[in-house]
Amino acid sequence: MIELLSNTVALSRMQFALTAIFHMLWPVLTTGMAIYLVIVEGLWLKTRNPDYYHHARFWSKLYVLNFGIGVASGLPMEFQFGTNWAPFSEAVGDFFGSILGFEGAMAFMLEAGFLGIMLFGWGRVHPVIHYLATIMVAFGANLSTFWILVANSWLQSPAGGEMVNGKFVVSDYFQAILNPFMVKSVSHMFFATLETSLFVIGGISAWYILNNRHEAFFARSLRIVLAAAIAVTPLQIYIGHLSAEQVYHYQPTKLAAMEAKWETSPAGQPADWSLLALPDESGEKNKWEITIPNALGYILEFKPKLSEPVLGLKEWQPSDRPRMVGLIYYSFRIMSGIGFFLAGLMLWSILQWLLGNLSPEKIAQQKWFLRTWIFAAPLGYIAVESGWIVRCVGRQPWTLYGQIRTADAASQLPASNVLTSLTLFAVVYSILFVSTLYFGSRIIRHGPNLELPVPGLENQPAIETEPATFVPNQRPVEAQQ
Amino acid sequence: MDALLHFLPQVWFVILGLFLFLYVMLDGFDLGVGILSLTSSNEERRSLLMTSLGNIWDANETWLVVMGGALFGAFPLAYGTILSALYIPIFMMIFGLIFRAVAFEFREHSNRKLFWNVAFGSGSFLAALGQGFALGSVIEGIAVDEAGHFIGSTWDWLDWRSLLVALTLIQGYVLIGSTYLILKTEGELQKTHFRTAKLAAVTTLIGAILITIATPVFYETARTRLFSPPLLYIFATIPLLGLLLVWLLLRSLNREEERTPFIWTILIFLLTFIGLGLIVFPYIIPTQITIYQAAAAPSALVFMIIFVGFLIPIMLFYNIYQYVVFRGKVAGSAYGD
Repeated sequence: MIELLSNTVALSRMQFALTAIFHMLWPVLTTGMAIYLVIVEGLWLKTRNPDYYHHARFWSKLYVLNFGIGVASGLPMEFQFGTNWAPFSEAVGDFFGSILGFEGAMAFMLEAGFLGIMLFGWGRVHPVIHYLATIMVAFGANLSTFWILVANSWLQSPAGGEMVNGKFVVSDYFQAILNPFMVKSVSHMFFATLETSLFVIGGISAWYILNNRHEAFFARSLRIVLAAAIAVTPLQIYIGHLSAEQVYHYQPTKLAAMEAKWETSPAGQPADWSLLALPDESGEKNKWEITIPNALGYILEFKPKLSEPVLGLKEWQPSDRPRMVGLIYYSFRIMSGIGFFLAGLMLWSILQWLLGNLSPEKIAQQKWFLRTWIFAAPLGYIAVESGWIVRCVGRQPWTLYGQIRTADAASQLPASNVLTSLTLFAVVYSILFVSTLYFGSRIIRHGPNLELPVPGLENQPAIETEPATFVPNQRPVEAQQ
Repeated sequence: MDALLHFLPQVWFVILGLFLFLYVMLDGFDLGVGILSLTSSNEERRSLLMTSLGNIWDANETWLVVMGGALFGAFPLAYGTILSALYIPIFMMIFGLIFRAVAFEFREHSNRKLFWNVAFGSGSFLAALGQGFALGSVIEGIAVDEAGHFIGSTWDWLDWRSLLVALTLIQGYVLIGSTYLILKTEGELQKTHFRTAKLAAVTTLIGAILITIATPVFYETARTRLFSPPLLYIFATIPLLGLLLVWLLLRSLNREEERTPFIWTILIFLLTFIGLGLIVFPYIIPTQITIYQAAAAPSALVFMIIFVGFLIPIMLFYNIYQYVVFRGKVAGSAYGD
C-alpha cells in the first residue's frame, strides 16, 4: 500500500482513470440526448403539437444539469495530458495534440457557442433559428465524440507515421485519422451515447407513467425512444462484434485478457469459449471456469474453426501483457450482457406495442413492463464504463499500443502532488455525483411545466394538464420560498 | 524552407496569443463577477450576477480548452513542460473552475444557496489565483534542461513576484467584471459597480506599475531585450498608452457612462497582452526554449492551420452572434420560464 502511494505512475493512472470514469457519465447522456432534443423540437416545428415543445423544454433541464458537470469534469481530462503525462504529450503532440485542438475549436466551441441560445433563447430568436441552434449543439457534441474517438483509436492502433528517437513522427495525417480502429470505434461510441440516452429517457418516462403522472405525455417520449431503439440496439451489438474482431487482429494481448485465455488456441481448430471464470494471475491459469465447447470460432468469426490462432497470455512476458485480467474479463461480459439485455427489452416492447398494450389508455397497467424500463435506465452507463475499462485497461502496458509504455509516458512528479490531487478529485467528485443525483431526481419529481407559453401560440387555450401535479419551477427561486 | 520553419511557429505564437487573450478577456469578466459576488449584500443581487453570465460562461471557458488543445498540438514540448512544472497552480485553477461551473447548475435547483454561492465566488477566486501564479511564473521563467524538460522543484512557482502578478490579475478580473456589470445592470446594482470599478482600476494600476518596475530589475533577459532599440521605443510607449487608457477609464467611470468603461478595460487588457507577448517572444518556455525549438513538425503546424485556422473567424462569428442575441440589461430570469 505504501509502495502504491509513493508510485507516481500508478497514482497518475488512478487519477486519469477516476477523472475519466467520472467525466464519461455526463457527456454520454448529453451527446445522445441532444439528438433526442433535435427530434422533438423538429416534431414540434412540423406538427405544432405543444406536447413536443414541452418535451423539448423538460428534457433540456436534465440536459443542462448534465452538461454543466460534463464541462467542469472535462477540463482536467485535457490538462492532465500536460501535467501528469508530459513525456507522452511531447512524444505524440504532433498528432494527438492537434486532434485535441480540433476537438476544442471545431466541436466543443460549437456546442458551447449555441448552448446559450438553445437554453435561454426561446423568447429571443425565431423558432427556426432556435432549431438551428439545437442542431448545432447536437452536431457539436457528436463531433466531439468523433475527434475524441479518433484520438483514442489512434492510441489503440497507431498509424500514419513511426517512432523516431522517442517521438512519433507523422508522415500522413489522414492515414493517422483513418487508423484501423477509427470507423468502428467512432460508431460504437456514437451508438453507445444514443442507446444510453434512449434508455434513460425511456426509464424516466416509464417512471412517470407508473406513477400515473402525465401518462399520455410520457407515452409519447417512450414511443419515440422505442422507435429509435429498434435500430440502435441490434446495430450496437453488431458494431460491438466488429470491434471485438478488430481487437482479435490488432491487439492480441487485449483479446487474451478479455477471454482470460492463458493458452494459445491454434488456427484451423475449434476452441472453447469461456462463459465465467476466476482468473489467477500469479498462477497463470483460471482457478475454475465454465466453458461453452467450440463456441469461440462462432463468436469471433461466425465459423466453427478459427482462421487465425487466438494467442494466450502466456505467449508474452508478464511485463508485456495487461494486468488485472479479471477486471477486463468481467467488464467485457458486463458490457456485452447489457447490450443483449437492452436488445431483448426492445423486442419485448415491440411485441407489447404490436399487441396494442402501449396505447395511452392501457400503458399504465403494464406494471412489470414499466418497471423493467426503469431498471434499464442506468444500464447504458454501466455498459459504457465497462467498455472503456476493457478498451483502456486492456491496452496496457502500452499508452500508444506497441510503441510507448505507460510507465515511460508519465511525468516525474513528486508522488505527494499526485496523491493530493487524486484525493481532492475523489472527494470533490463524490460530492458532485451525489449532488447531481439529488438535483436530477428533484427535476424529475417536479415534472414538466406544461403551462409554459408556447412560442407563437400564446393566445391559444392551454392544453390539458393536471393542476394537482403542477409545481412551479422558475427563476428566481426566492419568489417560491 | 528556412523562412517557413520560422514563419509557422510565429503564426502559432500569434494564434495562441489570440486564444489566450480571448480567454482572459471573456472568462476574465466571468471570474471577476464571481469574485465580486463574494461581496454581494443579498441573494437577489447574486442571482442577477449569475444570470448575467448564465448563457455565456461556458462558451467563454471553452476558449481555455481551445487554447490548451492548440498549445498541445503546436508546441507539445511546452505543453508538457509548463503544465507539469506548474502542477499545483494548474490544479488550483481546475478545481476553481469546477466549483464555479457546477455552482451555476446546482444553485439554480437548490433551496440552500449558501453552499453554492460560496462555491461560485471562491471557485472564481481560486481559478484566478491559479492563473495568476501560472502567468507570473511563466514570465519569470521555468527551470529546464537543454532538451526543455522541467528540472526545477514543485514549489518554484511560488514567490513574491508571482504573487504580485496573481494579485494584479485578480484586480484586473474584478475591474473587467465590474465594467461588464455596469454594462449589463441598472439602478443600485450598477452604482455599486461603478464604485468597485474605480477601486479596482486604481489597485490594478498600482499592481501594473510594480510589475513594470520589477520585470526589468529582476530579469536579465527581459532587461537586455527591453533596453535595446528598436524594442525600447515600443516598450517606452506601452506604459504611456496604458496611463492614458487608465485616465480615460477613470473619466468614463466618473461620468457614469455605461459602455465605454468596458471598452477601455478591454483595451487596457489588450495593451498589457501585447507588452507581455513582446517580453516573452520568441520564447515559449521562458527563458530558455524558443518557439522554434518547441514547435511541432511543420506538417503538423500546417495541418492545424488548415483545420483550426479557418475556424477562427467562424468561432468568432457565432460567439459574437450569441452576445448580440443576449444584448441589453439582465432581468430576473435567464430561463424565461
